[in-house]
Amino acid sequence: MKSRTWLGTGIAVTALGLGVCAASSASTVKAAPASASIKGQTINVDIAYPAPKVLLAQFTKETGVKVNWDYVQWDNLQTKIASAAEAHSYFADVADVDWSKVGEYYETKWFMPLNSYFPLAGVKSQYPQAASFIRNGELEGMPMDSSMLVTTVNEKDFKAAGIKSDPTTLAEYETDLKAISSKGIAKNPLDIPFAAAEGLSTYWYELTAAFGGQVLSATYQPEFTSPSSAGYKAMTWMINAYKSGLVPKAALDEQDYQAFETDEAHNLTASVFSDYSGDIGTIYNVASESKVVGDVKYIPTPGVNGVGSNLGNPDGIGIPAEAKHVAAAVAFIKWMEEPANQAAFAGADGSADVISTFPLPSNRGGLADLVKSNKVPGAATEASLLENHSRAIFPAGAPPWYSQFSNAVYTNIHSAASGSESVAAAISSIASTVKGLDG
Amino acid sequence: MSAIFRRPGQPVAGRRRPMRSRRDIALPYAMVAPLLVFIGALALYPTVLTAYGAFVHNDALDPPNHFTGLGNFQSVFSNPQVRQSLENTGLYVVFGVVLSVGLGTFFALLLQRRFRGRGIVLALMVLPWALPGVVEGVIWSWILDPTFGVLNSTLKSAGVISQYQLWVGTHQVESIFFISLVQVWQITPLAAILVLAALQAIPHELYEAASVDGAKGWTLIRRVTLPLVRPALAIAVVEGLVMSLNIFDQVYVLNAGATTASSLMTETYELAFNNLNFGQGYALSLLATVTTIVLSLLAVRIIYRKVEF
Repeated sequence: MKSRTWLGTGIAVTALGLGVCAASSASTVKAAPASASIKGQTINVDIAYPAPKVLLAQFTKETGVKVNWDYVQWDNLQTKIASAAEAHSYFADVADVDWSKVGEYYETKWFMPLNSYFPLAGVKSQYPQAASFIRNGELEGMPMDSSMLVTTVNEKDFKAAGIKSDPTTLAEYETDLKAISSKGIAKNPLDIPFAAAEGLSTYWYELTAAFGGQVLSATYQPEFTSPSSAGYKAMTWMINAYKSGLVPKAALDEQDYQAFETDEAHNLTASVFSDYSGDIGTIYNVASESKVVGDVKYIPTPGVNGVGSNLGNPDGIGIPAEAKHVAAAVAFIKWMEEPANQAAFAGADGSADVISTFPLPSNRGGLADLVKSNKVPGAATEASLLENHSRAIFPAGAPPWYSQFSNAVYTNIHSAASGSESVAAAISSIASTVKGLDG
Repeated sequence: MSAIFRRPGQPVAGRRRPMRSRRDIALPYAMVAPLLVFIGALALYPTVLTAYGAFVHNDALDPPNHFTGLGNFQSVFSNPQVRQSLENTGLYVVFGVVLSVGLGTFFALLLQRRFRGRGIVLALMVLPWALPGVVEGVIWSWILDPTFGVLNSTLKSAGVISQYQLWVGTHQVESIFFISLVQVWQITPLAAILVLAALQAIPHELYEAASVDGAKGWTLIRRVTLPLVRPALAIAVVEGLVMSLNIFDQVYVLNAGATTASSLMTETYELAFNNLNFGQGYALSLLATVTTIVLSLLAVRIIYRKVEF
């Protein structure tokens, strides 16, 4: 079946499913009614998104809780959380809980489990990416968005190269990219951010999934050491793509958003295999900063045997262990999770309430509202991908030592791309890091 | 007039101190007391805590904390990424000190003579010093950008290179050199001002006397100027040393997490805030502090001479 027909069917089924969920979701997560015990309190919220001021004012009006929303850049926020938690100091009542930190927080107990406020059964049924925030039955944070790794292509470039349908396999994808390059449409058509940063690690995970595997097993053992393994092949593919010129040489120094904003948004590249959901609305269709407005679209991720997975990398929110106003924090989180608010953050209601760079609503009700609004290009496609192909990066959740693992991944892949070491040496180094960390 | 060179602490013969009241004695201490409290609370206290923490196993993912003696130091020295960062930091220090002091002295010599617009030049020269390291890193990431960067386009237009280059990220020494240049751009103005102030204190008669003896050009600089600005050079070297040994912002922006050009401070950050091994982070911080102090004292001992006219 051609990819467009498949995609259309997937979107229709997903829309129906989301519609059913929207009808039932309204009763699942609601803002807490204004309670006398939390009225008049002020909570500090540290999140890596700018505040939706209009909606936030409504929350204060409804609950009497004032919110000091501190927008902190993601890396700085993680440092802040680690410093404050280590010092057992209060820093916020609500803070970011990234999917990659869930294992860490489970071990360190820096965040309160939320099971008593958000029953697990309801969370699992309403949130496609709930698994990323649950560790050994403990809910470390509520998903705040449904960010996932997706493939984007510049449709105009593909058409100009004579490509009539979207690639459905990796082999087709590579052939299409080479055609775009050979016809001079984009000399280096593939965007891979090879700077030694987290974006390189997740790119490898996504490609590993496309090759039909995963990087770590359910017991955190490396599954990429054999040359015939998906992870080994994925890394080889990435390095070969760089060395053969499919990827711009400059990408060696580019981190993810830097690469997407510099290369893809300026039509220097024609595709990002592992892009982030929401980037069409927040980067490629922003007229003041992009030269490819209206040209980029999401496609089902090509895999070695057909459509591949879209790995989830969502952000969540949780309550730090040192929080002072827990009840107010819970009320805030419930408000953040309301489907209508989630859809508004993603742009369903117009720009007044949208959170810049917010990818996708976290719950099915919000997704349904967003798709129904028809205001965000590609939302229906993303929702379909999320429901039908999304899975967690690690089946057992991110390990507690994830940061060190990711560091080993991106430094070694970067070194392999720069020519300082071979793929075999990089794989060996990453595997021995895992063995050392997992004990 | 002659210049008298005296080591610090060497007494001056034939002078007698006047009697001072209690108020006169107490007043200087009272005036610096707020600063001492500030330094004590924000610098000394954390340093003491760091020194203590360096000998304690403190890993958020492997509790409980316990005294471990030199265990943290053994762990960091056996970490290949730390060893790489130590080697890289050595290069940062060499490039940083040599370039900042050399260029600073050069600019100071150029600015020594009065000319039209000298004040504006001085003000513009100080601008990089006023900018945060992160901002400079971002600015230079655009300048060095392999696709759009000004450096590449300028050199290609001048025929120096035939195609755009990747300045940072491929080779260790080249990457460190370019990142160092960003920091040198920041710290050279202070070195220049320090040396310029010292140059302007040198009496003109000394140059006249030297000229009468036949000295000119480079000989004047080598035999008269440089020895008389040694105190300023010592301070400039210490400043370069401290800044280079502790380089973080520029490396973080331009090098991300690559080991190619990592520094001691980026590695410390990695150990403490990503690996959550605060004990090892403290150990590396303490090592950096002690190294900075030792090298600074050595620099002062070798270069500094008290100068009087």
